[in-house]
Amino acid sequence: MKHNRMITPEGMKDILLEECTLRRTLREKAASRLRRSGYREVVTPGVEFYDLFDPSHTGFAQEDLYKMTDNKGRLLVMRPDCTLPIARLAATRLQALPRPLRLWYDEMVYRNNPGLDGRDDEQLQCGMELLGAGGLKADLEALFLASRILQDMVPGYRIELGHAGIFQGLSEELPVDDEGREAIRRAIEAKNYAALSAMLDEIPDTPAVQALQKLPRLFGGPEVLHEARALCGGSRASEALSYLQNLYEKLCDLGLSDHVMFDLGLVQRNDYYTGVVFSAYIPGEGEAVLSGGRYDSLLDWFGQPMPAVGFALKIDAVARSLMREQGIVCPAPQLLVFGEKGQETKALLYMQDRQEQGVICEYAVCETMEQAKDYALSSGIHRLAVVGEQVREVEV
Amino acid sequence: MRPLRMALTKGRLEKDTVALLEKAGIDCTQVHEKGRRLILPVGDGSMEVVLSKAADVITYVENGVCDLGVVGKDTIMEHGTRFFEVMDLGFGRCRFALAGPKGVDFYAGYREKVVASKYPNVTRAFFENKQMDVRVIRIEGSVELAPLLGLADGIVDIVETGTTLKENGLEVKETVADLSARLIVNTASMKLRKKQIEELVARLEGAKKTC
Repeated sequence: MKHNRMITPEGMKDILLEECTLRRTLREKAASRLRRSGYREVVTPGVEFYDLFDPSHTGFAQEDLYKMTDNKGRLLVMRPDCTLPIARLAATRLQALPRPLRLWYDEMVYRNNPGLDGRDDEQLQCGMELLGAGGLKADLEALFLASRILQDMVPGYRIELGHAGIFQGLSEELPVDDEGREAIRRAIEAKNYAALSAMLDEIPDTPAVQALQKLPRLFGGPEVLHEARALCGGSRASEALSYLQNLYEKLCDLGLSDHVMFDLGLVQRNDYYTGVVFSAYIPGEGEAVLSGGRYDSLLDWFGQPMPAVGFALKIDAVARSLMREQGIVCPAPQLLVFGEKGQETKALLYMQDRQEQGVICEYAVCETMEQAKDYALSSGIHRLAVVGEQVREVEV
Repeated sequence: MRPLRMALTKGRLEKDTVALLEKAGIDCTQVHEKGRRLILPVGDGSMEVVLSKAADVITYVENGVCDLGVVGKDTIMEHGTRFFEVMDLGFGRCRFALAGPKGVDFYAGYREKVVASKYPNVTRAFFENKQMDVRVIRIEGSVELAPLLGLADGIVDIVETGTTLKENGLEVKETVADLSARLIVNTASMKLRKKQIEELVARLEGAKKTC
């Protein structure tokens, strides 16, 4: 039998040295921002029942989930997303806490991507959920937080806004079944103009059909709201547009006009979104690094109806882009502490003192001072402390 | 900012695309004189062209190292979807078809059918949509051989004129999909470089109309 002990499974990877440092910094930036905004951390299990991510309710494709069984033969999955577990928490164990609930997480999620396409199956996501609060203020809070976190990491970010009500409003006016609606949604999501036209040509022409036809092209600056308004008359879609306009003005007041765009064809796969939806992009990454939105009916499924909004940020994707653009290196320790024969413990205590002064120190485990010097030179440590009867520090 | 990068499928699609780019007023001299180079500047330097195999065009665009790509709908159907498909370029027209021995009803009988193809994903999706169980066998070379040798009941392949089929006693049973070359765009590029990309698309649309 072939042994695979020297390699990792496809889609998995080791994260090493500099990348760990950078990743840790990014996690801390996000966490700090969230904590300071009154969010509290939760950790949910890495493995949950398949039922929680049931494709018919959540929009996850069955083949995207890593599955296994428990000792009773029940189907389990490795968490593909953190929003559903947190919705479960809010409806069960945290039911009695005062609303709104402000929760954040920083967890691995798992998606079984098709082979050899270069994507990570294991990703670190950091995000927030604001549960039990509906309306503009809550959406503004979520969007502002997302923008602050991105600003701390990659100031060249862009956030784009859409609204689930636009597609839902327009498509419910069409004489098609759920499957047909899903096919149209997919074409809009993929900006596949050709396929969309082919499908819509088979339906009697109405204002809704014309609006859907144009939907994938409606992205860019605030002018797309005006364009869209001309297309959606007096329906649920036009309410959504007014809401986005209002939200946009508030975001401009916050000085974010250069960072905010629209994509009214943003119709995400997770069909639990009900209101504003958003994604963020950064230079050098081919896919969105942050995504989120309002999901006011998801909690109904858990028997505890409440409005909610949240987003998740792919920390690893941000780290990868920063590594590429800036080539971050991990600094070497500043001091090597060598204890002469009989002074091993004294050297350790001296190292502890220096560490408490904030110096990054390493303990020399070699026998002679010559070896310690050679080691310091080869590892880029510029200072050596020799601990004998007396302590002296020298430059190497 | 780096030039807008467009991946082209080597061969005929490359020639057709270059012709369209030139019609749109984009200078492609460097592509004609490429030698063995694979990355070539075009136009006024704000754009460059990368030459690669069809499936790789999708990989480069999906991963964002190329902003745009020109690739056949056949490759898109077989290999991927995580990008925007913004334009039907109108050339490279052909179709995916189910073919089998002349005069034999492919669907007759209850025995499980065997279908050979270079495009197993397209084949599987086609029959899944029909709620029909078939066994798909992947063939790399001339797929027409499989039914002739008795390995398969039919094939799913690209058909242009149908001459190869006819000469081997096969005929088209059903069209699976109509194909042509498409312009695809990376998701993030579409957002971050919208203006540049829309201008290019508009120029290409204009040039296509005058074809």
